[in-house]
Amino acid sequence: MSRQPSLTQSMSALHTWAGLVLGWLLFAIFLTGTLAVFDRELTWWMQPELQDRQVDQASAVQVAQRWLAANQRDASAWNIGLPTARDPSLSVSAGEQRRGQRTLIDAESGEQITPRETAGGSFFFRFHYTLHMPRFLGIWVVGFAAMAMLVAIISGIIIHKKIFKDFFTFRPVKGQRSWLDGHNASAVLLLPFHLMITYTGLVIFFLIYMPAATDALYGGDRDALLRELRPDAQQQQGARRGEGGRPSREVQTASAAMLPLDHFITLGEAHYGAGMLSSLSVAQPGRVNARVEVRPLLGSRLELTKGEALAFNAITGELLRAPPPTRTSLLVQKVMAGLHFAQFGGYPMRWLYFICGLVSSAMIASGLVLYTVKRRRQSAAQGVWLRQVEWLNLACVGGLMLACVALLWANRLLPADLAEREGWELRVFFGAWLAALLHARLRAPLRGWLEQLAASAVLLLGLPLLDLLTALAVPDRIRLGVDLTGLGLGALLALAAWKVSTRPTATVRAARRAPAAMAEVQS
Amino acid sequence: MNASLLCLALSSSYAGMLALCLGTERHWKQLAAAAPLSLRAWCRPLGVLLLLLALLLSLQIWPASMALVGWLGMLSLCGLVLLLLLPYAPRLALGLPLLGVLLAPVFMLG
Repeated sequence: MSRQPSLTQSMSALHTWAGLVLGWLLFAIFLTGTLAVFDRELTWWMQPELQDRQVDQASAVQVAQRWLAANQRDASAWNIGLPTARDPSLSVSAGEQRRGQRTLIDAESGEQITPRETAGGSFFFRFHYTLHMPRFLGIWVVGFAAMAMLVAIISGIIIHKKIFKDFFTFRPVKGQRSWLDGHNASAVLLLPFHLMITYTGLVIFFLIYMPAATDALYGGDRDALLRELRPDAQQQQGARRGEGGRPSREVQTASAAMLPLDHFITLGEAHYGAGMLSSLSVAQPGRVNARVEVRPLLGSRLELTKGEALAFNAITGELLRAPPPTRTSLLVQKVMAGLHFAQFGGYPMRWLYFICGLVSSAMIASGLVLYTVKRRRQSAAQGVWLRQVEWLNLACVGGLMLACVALLWANRLLPADLAEREGWELRVFFGAWLAALLHARLRAPLRGWLEQLAASAVLLLGLPLLDLLTALAVPDRIRLGVDLTGLGLGALLALAAWKVSTRPTATVRAARRAPAAMAEVQS
Repeated sequence: MNASLLCLALSSSYAGMLALCLGTERHWKQLAAAAPLSLRAWCRPLGVLLLLLALLLSLQIWPASMALVGWLGMLSLCGLVLLLLLPYAPRLALGLPLLGVLLAPVFMLG
């Protein structure tokens, strides 16, 4: 035997340290990413003032057109966010789309609605890739964690010797053995998902993580690269600047009667399929050069079709520009991004991603717990370090879950007209997390786990009740879905809390069974 | 229509994973010790066939590229469900695909 550590040993050390140090971050990234699968639904849940009128897009767009014609007749552009299956709200804005303040209107009566301000489900989405840090710093930290995840996955495959023999093996109530089984099985069975989601997550920000090629070939001018990748984009922007950007010079343009906007919904659906449109915009509404753009939902293909549109002449209905096919190099990146964002395949696919994401988060958490379970048995000398890891584990896993539910409760319990309401919701989120951190530091590990799991479970189980008591109307399809999902997750956490509370007896049982288990292993 | 197809695709990928699982000595002993041992050799090919059937079914639900993603996701999750059922409810682990096949027509009506 040489004194150099074997491949398995060094890989094991790598797996342990990459997993432990970044596991805390990775759990936060995976859990919030999983919740972000249903970001629109959560935002809808968090604005109970809005109601699902169940009108089709053609009649909704007429309502929007009437509102805009009455209130924004002279605007340089109109933008209409259409009601969709995931978000049945109808929104309108005037002027440049990015800057304009969105106004929500009732899809039936056309009255303006002012829902409560909220961080919304999009908070989870932003937290997922920036960790609520300044954008670029956050993206770099998350990218670093994702690299560590890849390292942990590959080193994990190397050190897991019996991948196929233990493929379906899970032996509960055996302490460390069970944790290892659970960690292995959730990692191996979902390996395609873990690899895909981590790798594609890195590819989304390829320009930020790997700028060398852009620097070398385009002198660091990222726009130059993008122009070459999408020649039509430049044209499109130029055209938009010419038509919509300087309204003052074009005031003289003669006015003309536009076709009713629902006509373009029909045209758009003919191209993208029924129910696949997300928004419609009109440049120079009511003028002879008026132009309508219809944008699809990001979901008709695997490729992430962001920014794509069909353009029509608003007076004659003539098709001005159809989106050109994407170049292969960009298509690869867009398909990768599409795989990560999961905007395709409808609700069945969304649920697959959600459950896979939950299992991934559980896999990471089980790895973190496994570390402490293993060390606890090994030696008492590491007591101080072990104690630190134990409370950090609890604060990062149990604390984050608690904070996420607390955000939903804060959304409904804070007064609806509170100033800077969004900020207060986030204060509750981070406040709950901080409280969980202190709690984790002060309590004995098992006690702490029990209490935090139970608290999250109670809050989740109470979610339907909270919705019933604080919503203004009977929960619609989407809100009911959020309520029931909360109920299900609450039941899972309650089960986990119950397992923790019965754990001492379990160890005794395991100890009693130990000789039998040894015999089983040897056979 | 879609829901019942999805139900069938899930049942078939679960049954495929179950067959692969029965193909191993350890789990054959656990679940099917009473059955004749000669059947065990058939489990693996049967499992592969069932998984391919699941792929065919998901091709009916989604376009080809999405079907591949959905299929892999279903296999993974069905494997995990099987893994969790094995120690706690081995009988249910064996009977679950049957339940799925029985449920599929119900969705078709609804």
